[in-house]
Amino acid sequence: MSSSWRTEIVAVLLKEIHSEIRSKAGLMSSGLFSLVTVIALAVAAFNRELSPGLSAGLIWVALLFASAISLPRAFLLEEEQGTMDILRLTARPHAIFWGKSLFNLIQMLLTGFFLSFLFLFLTNQTLGNVPLFAVCLLGGCGALAGTVTLCGAIVAQAKNRSALAGALALPLLLPLAFLAVEALRVPLGSGDIMVGWRGAAGLIGYGVATLAIGPYLFAAVWKS
Amino acid sequence: MEELNIGRTLLAILIAVGTVATFTAPDAKSFMNPELARMVFWHLPNAITSTLFLLATTWFSLRYLQTKQEHWDVRATAAQEIALVTGILTLATGILFSKYQWGNWWDWDPRQTSFLFVMMFVGAYFALRAAFDDPTKRASNSAAYSVATILPLLFLIFVFPRLPSVANTSLHPDVVRKGGFDVSYKTVFYSMFVLIGMLCVVLYRLRVRAGLMELALEESYAELASRDDSAATRMVRPVSLSEPDRQEGPRSGG
Repeated sequence: MSSSWRTEIVAVLLKEIHSEIRSKAGLMSSGLFSLVTVIALAVAAFNRELSPGLSAGLIWVALLFASAISLPRAFLLEEEQGTMDILRLTARPHAIFWGKSLFNLIQMLLTGFFLSFLFLFLTNQTLGNVPLFAVCLLGGCGALAGTVTLCGAIVAQAKNRSALAGALALPLLLPLAFLAVEALRVPLGSGDIMVGWRGAAGLIGYGVATLAIGPYLFAAVWKS
Repeated sequence: MEELNIGRTLLAILIAVGTVATFTAPDAKSFMNPELARMVFWHLPNAITSTLFLLATTWFSLRYLQTKQEHWDVRATAAQEIALVTGILTLATGILFSKYQWGNWWDWDPRQTSFLFVMMFVGAYFALRAAFDDPTKRASNSAAYSVATILPLLFLIFVFPRLPSVANTSLHPDVVRKGGFDVSYKTVFYSMFVLIGMLCVVLYRLRVRAGLMELALEESYAELASRDDSAATRMVRPVSLSEPDRQEGPRSGG
């Protein structure tokens, strides 16, 4: 990667971080959504013993919806504030996509770790394999960040964009949920360790593929 | 009167003959409930046709993104529409098959579930198209989404139902691949596959023709409107009389 690429990506990332620090809207909304979701799930599971598979499923459903709510903001906000054209002048589309995806990845990792540890704490569950759990969350959050950022970019100029971003992203994320549940149930105490690592590798592969294809598709949309 | 198209007439006759054959072919014993398994003659060809048209949509979308020529968008939309129709037929016949072979309308069978998810992509594609007024943005954004779906699409159709942990739970019969059909059953099955495929290609080509004509019409309207002294500004369009106009009637003098 040339230094100009790196400079542009870092500049977009820093711009996102600065505007998030100023408004705190993204982290607040995803944090609050995660908190409410986890508490609702914990209340629904009150006095019941959750199986590892079900726990993994609940964590991923909460993560899917948290990402669909908070991540498309990266592009929707530019459109609402009318800063899209300035951004168009200052950086190349690939750098914009990667910068925003990186910011979304950071946001999703914070949300993911907070949400899942809170869920495990409230439902009295223990982790068997912490590294596998961390790799699953890292791969899953990468795939979530890439996919939802792309969907946010696609719907940025559409009518009813906030609702549409989630509607577009969720079908793309369902295969991810299969892989994620398959992998995450292992550190929660069910299934073969190799199945868990295979699932984690699938998640990372999905994330890498999304982050690799995303900029090209975004560039095609961005130019129109 | 429109000229009789021999090819299409022949196709219609063949489909009618094929439909009769689906009812008269001897039962395939490999099914749990053989006399009620004839749905497979329609179910599987529709599923395969839908998948092929979905893949074609992605290819046309990719071509649109590369060339920005509108006819690729027309082709992509037409292919997606055929995929939607055949996909709905696949789900509908699958639900009936499920009820009479396995006992429930919906069993969360991996193939059934993955095809349902695939249809969600198709729904999202049309929802996205409906959200744009500008035709260029509509075309490029829906093309980008269509290309983005290729990875999950391939995963859901070809990988997920074959995952070892999932494949064991599937109720789907594997008689076609394992050769559980006798010769007459196989003949009807493959004939139906070819006929449904041909019918879908005919429908697709008609839809593309209609789409290209719409494009040409829009272009000529735009061209007329762009000329200041053109007839478009003075064009007398046929209008229907609204209710108040009719009630008003001719004004009488005095």
